[in-house]
Amino acid sequence: MVIVAPRPLLRPAHLDVAPADRSNGREVLALLRGDTAARPRFDPELAGGLRAWLEDAAYEVVATRGEHAPPVFLGAGQLLGPPAGWRDGDALSEELLLSRLVHALFRQLVNEGGFDHPLRDALDGLRASGAEPLVRHIESLAPPARSALSETVASHAATMREMVPRFAPGWMPRTSDRVAIPLAGGRVVLHGSFDLLVGLPHPGTASLCALGLSTSGPWARERRCLHYLALLETLRSGTPPFRLALLETATGRYGVEDVREEHLRAIASHLCAWLATGPHG
Amino acid sequence: MADRLTDALVAPLADVDPSSWAATLEEAKGTLAGLAVRRAGAGPFRVTGHEIRAALSSDATELAAQLPFAWSARTSRRALGLAAVRLLVAGDARSPVEAVRARLEESCHWVRDGSPCASQLDRWLAGLSPAGRAAVGAEAVTWATRLWCALDWPALGSTLTIGRDRWWDSPHSALLALRGRAEVRTDRANLVVLSGPRRESVRAELALVTLVDSLRARDGAVPGRVVGWWPDSGHLVRVEPEPAVLTLGAEAVGLVLGAAGAPVRSAA
Repeated sequence: MVIVAPRPLLRPAHLDVAPADRSNGREVLALLRGDTAARPRFDPELAGGLRAWLEDAAYEVVATRGEHAPPVFLGAGQLLGPPAGWRDGDALSEELLLSRLVHALFRQLVNEGGFDHPLRDALDGLRASGAEPLVRHIESLAPPARSALSETVASHAATMREMVPRFAPGWMPRTSDRVAIPLAGGRVVLHGSFDLLVGLPHPGTASLCALGLSTSGPWARERRCLHYLALLETLRSGTPPFRLALLETATGRYGVEDVREEHLRAIASHLCAWLATGPHG
Repeated sequence: MADRLTDALVAPLADVDPSSWAATLEEAKGTLAGLAVRRAGAGPFRVTGHEIRAALSSDATELAAQLPFAWSARTSRRALGLAAVRLLVAGDARSPVEAVRARLEESCHWVRDGSPCASQLDRWLAGLSPAGRAAVGAEAVTWATRLWCALDWPALGSTLTIGRDRWWDSPHSALLALRGRAEVRTDRANLVVLSGPRRESVRAELALVTLVDSLRARDGAVPGRVVGWWPDSGHLVRVEPEPAVLTLGAEAVGLVLGAAGAPVRSAA
């Protein structure tokens, strides 16, 4: 993975971006785009092989738990542990609030190209998304806590404004693209959500790019989350994304990497191990 | 995905024995005629795929416990997404982002100008802040992009209907109506975008689409196949127009009415 601290990596190139003073965003875009002629073709048997491997593991789970047990829903949180600062059973930790707010702003940035007042816009976005309890909770915070939250959100927003590329509509950018892969006849469901997907799917050729946003890290966990999502996309469409990008909104650190078969096999292996030993009994 | 889903929609239909079809359709009509429905003062009863899912699925309790309807990014994404796909198919927009934006602007214009076209959804959208509308738009863009990218549209032919539900009103009881929902209709197939888990009830949900089309056909024509598609997983389920599907649909309607506790009496 090419990991970049917040400093220039590439010289400005001619790119299909809206005119905006976001040079680092252009670099991310350039890294995401890469050489369009060199996009990898994956073995068409890869997805089938991975699915067969996972189905075997899932059927073992069903055999152990019984066919009438409720389905096991397995997301990155269960598989890789919660992000830093998130506590089990604490639905409204500061880190979770920040994550929801920053992700709401990210969607606005990708689709509208900007925002005015970070905290207010994020709250409006969450309210329209039906997250009223969360909005009420934030609005009921004591003024100092709310002010601190507003400053933190503004800081993350500034990073995104600088680093997130402005995607041309023809790239088909879509945010919060949910994936849910049923195994063992739906008794085990692997699920996750891409923060951002761009590109048009082409059978046999890896043609999608995914960008993940991390508000709290740790970096290694977030990177594996993207590998997990790449695996789910492989199972959904038969072809993995060809490139993944991860942006840490607290620091501006970002990285871009090509998806390789070993990433998918490693995360599938981890999944099988989790299914064999995980706390789903 | 585009190839597999499009192939499912354009594949030739198998021949159906006309007499067997006609006989089964008459049976289904008889079953429905026998169900004059009155739900304890609740007025007309509409059977949709959702009711069939709720009546037949193991997650029925969960479905029944859903909150009352309220507009949100999630509940509006289908309507806005379909409008966007219509614009894309017509060549009036070049991308889902552009199409959704046009649809949102249309809402605001209609409401501002007091147009009779303005719906409850339009009024809700017009009342949102720009950031709220952006969140709604983002959800609709994702919905529309998934559908737009999933199909080889030129291969579907020119007789496309995007997102028009079809209703059948019982001639025997003003209290009973059935709704067949499909996102894309061609002259030989219907595509239904599915959400939620894969479930045993899905064939009955899709059979309702076949049943409604069959009941509406004036000449007893056999309708197209129904293809259910989960964008989340890429899975497809095909329901071919066979006599057994009519029976399945009519039985599912009967189960819904039974599950609703509706008193059943003869309409004759």
